[in-house]
Amino acid sequence: MLLRTEHISKQFNGIYALNDINFELLPGEIHGLVGENGAGKSTLIKLLTGVYRLDEGEIYWEDRNVTIKNPVQSREIGINVIHQDRILIPAFNGVENAYLGMEYIVRGGKIDWKAMERNVAEKAESLGIDIDLKKTAAQLSPPQKTCLEIIRAMMQECKLLILDEPTASLTDKESEILFSIIHTLKERGTSILYVTHRMDEIFRLTDRITIFKNGTMVETVHTCDVTKELLVKKMTDQWSSQAIEHRQEFGEVMFEASGIQSKDGVVQEGNLRARSGEILGVFGLGGSGRTELLECIYGYRAMKEGQVSVGGATVAKPSPAKSLKHGMVLICEDRRGKAMIGNLSIKNNILLSSIDDYQRGGVLSEAKETADAQEKVDALQIKIAGLSQRAIELSGGNQQKVVFAKALMTKPRVFLCDEPTQAVDVKTRSEIHRLLRQKADEGSAVIYVSSDLKEILEVADTIQIMSRGRTTQQLRNEGLTSEQVLACCYDN
Amino acid sequence: MTMKAKQWNAKYIFQTYGTILAMILIILIFSILRPGAFCTLRNFINITRQMSPLMFVAIGATLIMSVNEFDLSVGSMASLGGVMAALFAVQGRPIAQCFLLPMVICGLIGWLNGWIVARFRVLSFITTLGMSTVLSGIIYRLTGGATVFENIPQSFAWLGTTRVGTIPLLSILMVIATAMFWFLMRHMAAGRKMYAIGGNEEAAKIAGINVKKYKNLAFALCAVLACVTGMLVASRVGSANTTAGAGYFLQSYAAVYIGCTVSKEGVPNIIGTLVGAAILTILSNGLTIMQMPTYMQDIITGGIIILAVIAQKLGRGDAK
Repeated sequence: MLLRTEHISKQFNGIYALNDINFELLPGEIHGLVGENGAGKSTLIKLLTGVYRLDEGEIYWEDRNVTIKNPVQSREIGINVIHQDRILIPAFNGVENAYLGMEYIVRGGKIDWKAMERNVAEKAESLGIDIDLKKTAAQLSPPQKTCLEIIRAMMQECKLLILDEPTASLTDKESEILFSIIHTLKERGTSILYVTHRMDEIFRLTDRITIFKNGTMVETVHTCDVTKELLVKKMTDQWSSQAIEHRQEFGEVMFEASGIQSKDGVVQEGNLRARSGEILGVFGLGGSGRTELLECIYGYRAMKEGQVSVGGATVAKPSPAKSLKHGMVLICEDRRGKAMIGNLSIKNNILLSSIDDYQRGGVLSEAKETADAQEKVDALQIKIAGLSQRAIELSGGNQQKVVFAKALMTKPRVFLCDEPTQAVDVKTRSEIHRLLRQKADEGSAVIYVSSDLKEILEVADTIQIMSRGRTTQQLRNEGLTSEQVLACCYDN
Repeated sequence: MTMKAKQWNAKYIFQTYGTILAMILIILIFSILRPGAFCTLRNFINITRQMSPLMFVAIGATLIMSVNEFDLSVGSMASLGGVMAALFAVQGRPIAQCFLLPMVICGLIGWLNGWIVARFRVLSFITTLGMSTVLSGIIYRLTGGATVFENIPQSFAWLGTTRVGTIPLLSILMVIATAMFWFLMRHMAAGRKMYAIGGNEEAAKIAGINVKKYKNLAFALCAVLACVTGMLVASRVGSANTTAGAGYFLQSYAAVYIGCTVSKEGVPNIIGTLVGAAILTILSNGLTIMQMPTYMQDIITGGIIILAVIAQKLGRGDAK
């Protein structure tokens, strides 16, 4: 047994975030950890990596009772974690980043860069990772950064590698590279604790799966003994998987963007057209410019050329304020970075895009604000302690619902959604899908960008392929398979 | 995880009202030590008058910090305001012009600060540091480095010395300005937008808020308020020192930081700044009455500022 916890618990403000967990991890296994947002997965990771201290219970590491006091100690005994948001120093190169937190090799008072580089290069080769160690972290692509983090984790003896949503920002192809590295690690005897919301990855990679629900551990199962449906059922009480219905007939053209070219050259030529009632899925591999295209259309990213029109009216010189005025909202990928102000109250976050609708002569009408914000909270079933609670205190799924509430406050006709279900739990995910379907049925047009092809197939009526900064084919989502869509992406 | 329950225990009270309790404690200590000199109505009115110039520049600092920027030129701006007002008075201009023209000029300089920061995306820290040096140069050009005090008409002292009954005009102006800017930040669209920008500039941009406009506004208002501070001081003492504003720079930001501890979110806010400015003024007033040497006053005031920042971190649970 590599790791065993006995009756461990952790409370925050008198409420159990984790309650009586008996978790076991074998050497050399890939162990999946699943559960909705707020189920306690992150809390467990933070206890194992010394970010939080235990309230009750014992941790046994290689059958010895240990107290993990801080992250340094956690690394010393051989636990490393790779977070969703990669923690690298942008201006440092590969070698410097790999040596973060470790003693540099010094000879005669001078840092022996050559020896360090040799060590890192050897480690990279033994893991089957091929990246340019001379490049700074800022110059690396997202998957390369993940690889660099893995190298860093493996520089010292690492017996347990925790991966927290490692594929959240990777495309399928990039994920494949990661998976093959994970298999290499497994063969070398490293245990992997794999945390994700993505069911297909769990079934592909793991040997065993542990399910968390509301801060308690449901059970640990062998991956071969369960099905996806069964697993989802164990994770949640009331949710049942249901694909939303697709539409065949649409109204008039609600949204059109043509010849979009971004100033930075990432978007070469973007053409999108969506009709009233339509959910248009936009799919492309990583670096195809999906996010950038939406940002250009919305007027957030500088546009070189192109035309955008909403409901027949041209948006001249797009800017976020003008887009909103025309009834077009952007729900962006990077929730904490761009969509939400963590330190502000939930109410102020919901009203963020519509401040001017509630003022007369510059003075805000707060009673009306509160009433309307509360209405949205009720309608979207956002779980909050009160409207004045800070948004940062909510779980990921509820945060995303606040972002949607903010969007709905502007009464939009066109939704530009960029990865709207990233890092939210399965239940919220299906709620978001149903909400968008409902809005489309009411006459809106929805542009839906996701790097998860299955999600696109589940949600979209029509699929627009994007490749290397250009929009290419458009496919009708009728009996379409993922292979067919992928084939279009690789064609070009 | 489920929601946090509101807890009315000692920790909660300390976190929410700690700073105000500290202020009351300071008042109590001085009242016990020097009841005759400190704890009198006259001295308390005196404290509000002493506080007034600091409060104006501190309101400006609050606005700047609410959009997550910094203005290091407030000290020189205050000096410039005082010097310009005094020079206009020496020229024999009508008294209203003496006080209004500097506000317009400083407002334009502040707007320029904001424009440079927003247009070229440079750090406000270094932009305003440069501007501060430029302003010092301009002050030297205007005065030759000497205090402006000769030929200033009597009427110039009106602003700083008038009393309404027993209440100094300075105190009344402070209350009015505090109320106005509290209303702006708390109940008006502009204030809400400024807090949004300070909380997360990118999110504010995506929400359709004109970030440049409100940053410019904050810089311009901050400069005008610093200018008012300088003019109040000059009018009060009847002369304009070329570095009269220098001391107000650190004090104003200290007041804002102490003030952050008063709000639950830990953000700059006008009421908090008022408490911060009051604490700093009460300390200096009380310690002077106790005939504490200046160096001890500095040590105690500085220590309190550091304690306030620590208290804020602890209160927000950021500290490890």
